[in-house]
Amino acid sequence: MTVQPPSAPTESLDAFRTRARAWLAAADIPEVPRDIDSRFATLRQWQKTLFEAGWVGIAWSKQAGGQGLSHLHHLVFVGELARAGAPQPIGLIGLEVVGPSIDRYGTDWQRHELLPRLLSGDDIWCQGFSEPNAGSDLASLRTRAVADGDEFLVSGQKIWTSWAHLSHWCALLVRTDTSVRKQAGISYLLVDMTSPGITTRPITQMTGDREFCEVFFDDVRVPRANLLGGVNEGWAIATHTLGSERAGATLRRRVECEVALDEALDHLRAARGSSSDDRATAAVGRAHVAMRVLDAQTRQTTARLVADTGPTPMDSVDKLLLTDVEQIVFAEIAALLGPLRAVPGARARGLLSQRWAYEHLYSRAASIYGGSSQIQRTIIAERLMGLPRG
Amino acid sequence: MAEPIDVGAEYGSAVDDYLTRAYDGDRCRALLSAGGWDAGLAAELAELGWHGLAVPERHGGLGAPLSSLGPVFTALGRHLAVGPMLENTLLPAVLHPHWTIAPALAAAVETGVPVALVDPGITDDRTADVGAMTLHDQRLSGAVEAVRFAGQASLLAVVAATEAGEVVCFVDPTTPGVRIDSVDSADPATAFARVALDDVRADGAAPADGGELVARIRSWARLLIACELSGVADHALDRTVTYIGQREQFGQPIGSFQAVKHIAADMYAQATGLRNLCTASLADATDASTADLAVLAWTAKAHAAEVAVRVCEDAVQLHGGMGFTTESDVSACYLRTLALRSWYGDATELQLRIGAALLDRV
Ligand SMILES: Cc1cc2nc3c(=O)[nH]c(=O)nc-3n(C[C@H](O)[C@H](O)[C@H](O)COP(=O)(O)OP(=O)(O)OC[C@H]3O[C@@H](n4cnc5c(N)ncnc54)[C@H](O)[C@@H]3O)c2cc1C
Repeated sequence: MTVQPPSAPTESLDAFRTRARAWLAAADIPEVPRDIDSRFATLRQWQKTLFEAGWVGIAWSKQAGGQGLSHLHHLVFVGELARAGAPQPIGLIGLEVVGPSIDRYGTDWQRHELLPRLLSGDDIWCQGFSEPNAGSDLASLRTRAVADGDEFLVSGQKIWTSWAHLSHWCALLVRTDTSVRKQAGISYLLVDMTSPGITTRPITQMTGDREFCEVFFDDVRVPRANLLGGVNEGWAIATHTLGSERAGATLRRRVECEVALDEALDHLRAARGSSSDDRATAAVGRAHVAMRVLDAQTRQTTARLVADTGPTPMDSVDKLLLTDVEQIVFAEIAALLGPLRAVPGARARGLLSQRWAYEHLYSRAASIYGGSSQIQRTIIAERLMGLPRG
Repeated sequence: MAEPIDVGAEYGSAVDDYLTRAYDGDRCRALLSAGGWDAGLAAELAELGWHGLAVPERHGGLGAPLSSLGPVFTALGRHLAVGPMLENTLLPAVLHPHWTIAPALAAAVETGVPVALVDPGITDDRTADVGAMTLHDQRLSGAVEAVRFAGQASLLAVVAATEAGEVVCFVDPTTPGVRIDSVDSADPATAFARVALDDVRADGAAPADGGELVARIRSWARLLIACELSGVADHALDRTVTYIGQREQFGQPIGSFQAVKHIAADMYAQATGLRNLCTASLADATDASTADLAVLAWTAKAHAAEVAVRVCEDAVQLHGGMGFTTESDVSACYLRTLALRSWYGDATELQLRIGAALLDRV
């Protein structure tokens, strides 16, 4: 993401942190409802509140509607949010994934029309990349877009599209040429989700949430002005989309895990009192070691982000380690629920069963989405270690 | 958010360069099967000034912070260096206020003749198997089953229990009542002895401080061993990458098979994570309190113990039958990590300590 050279001296991180803390201390932090629709509504309102106070798009350029501060400022705020027990804004896919690509590859019209509403939470975005037959092999996607005058006609199906049923816009990868190498025939469309011909069908995740969807496109008309980049140039943009904010997402997830572990520790301490609990002791030790590994790793990530190195295969090492740590931490905590894991409303060792069971289940997705762990290993082996391509 | 700082990186690369020139290859291989001790090597490293790195300048050292020893130990691990580097670099530096009562500490820096640390606290797990040492009226009694380089030492630094906590006492190994028996070693880089003291008068002792000094020594030992383990893991990884890129089966390099590639990629990620954990721990250790330093060190050592062993096991696996022979470097790496894994605690032991410390924290 382009960061404007600040005209005034940039606010120091300490001053920024103090300002963030003060604001959060006075803010009306919402309770997050369990039910997915009201959760969405609450968190969207929260994003608006954050945006109006200047806490969204912190590292985005001022031109794009952001605050023109650095990635480090953004990370400080992410940490302060989590420590204040406040939720992240709901539009993370827009903020972390799609928005930076629009900012970089978009036309003036696209940037002016779409980015302000993306930041404010007026528009929530989803990412329509995966298809039933194009997962890890994303470039084999088949949803078709055919030029028809000033429009494209889009037909096909996406799947696993998070928040699609509640989103206003979709970043959609489509095939615009079938006669060339599969990566060379892909275009990137920005699609209004209220367009006629789009049907979303939520799928229930194993956490019980209906968070991701199947999305069907049936001769959907998309104006040519909504093409991001050129025709058949979508693959490079998608790669940017997937890669550019991975470091940011890693750092955010790290803070979230850290705060969750601290919270679990508080419950465990309170419930334990002065008696000893060997099982909890061992679990906490193991989780702490894992968290420290992630802490150490993300210092390198931060350094790369500050140096603005852009996506590198080193991101795959981050992703693999983050996944590992996340899965260890939540598995250790969830195991402490014992048989009461099966009773969502119960508390075991002070831990609320449904909360930690949810975190644990969600952690299992970490090795699947955003490039599975197997895909990351192949990238590490071939691009970092120089092993022969198989 | 701390900036990544690599304390002592320049010392690490100096050591790396020297060992690449003067140690790698036949010499290393010969020493790995020579019982872990080589007087010539110890003297050579003393001559180079390596032992005085963290010793204060007024004692003729370089006065670098203890954390700069970290990259040095990573380099030592990477070259599978044998000998009492821990004893000769860490003890003289940490114990420098006591050089007058224990001049052999200075001699260790200058000549490489080691000081041995007689510490029953190398594990918390079944301590009765390791031994115990007590101090009463300036007299030491007890035994420790495994002491590194005691058979070669000119001074014993003995950790003994008193009513006021553990203290460090100094004993000349030739004092009557001291018994040092060399024992076989399964660690290709270390010589061991059993040390028994039968009502031996201590030549001197560091003042009782509620165990602070002992805790500091153990914490730094853990951090440096973690760094060394990280170096050994790096070495095993390097060897493996080279090997699987060259060795062919089914008409292609085995490194082109995905099953092999993915094991190698995990080794890479794990070794990278460990290296970064060591760097971060050293940076944080610099101004940590004794209690925080202990948790940092337990954490680094716990992770190093687990990861280095796992990386070496994968290295042996990917070398096939060759990995199972003493001719391959990776088998030496594995034996070394197995020995260091439990020295001052393996993952299981240390995770329990960390958990207890965190749960007790208010
Ligand atoms: C919670 C969640 C949210 C998601 N949100 C979105 C979203 O908002 N938008 C979106 O577009 N997508 C989303 N996804 C989809 C996600 O990106 C895909 O699930 C992922 O890319 C894997 O594709 P797949 O599910 O088809 O699995 P597959 O590609 O079929 O993989 C199945 C298994 O085979 C392995 N495998 C596949 N190819 C190889 C290979 N070459 N070598 C070795 N192993 C291989 C994989 O590692 C995996 O273990 C989401 C997924 C989850 C779980």
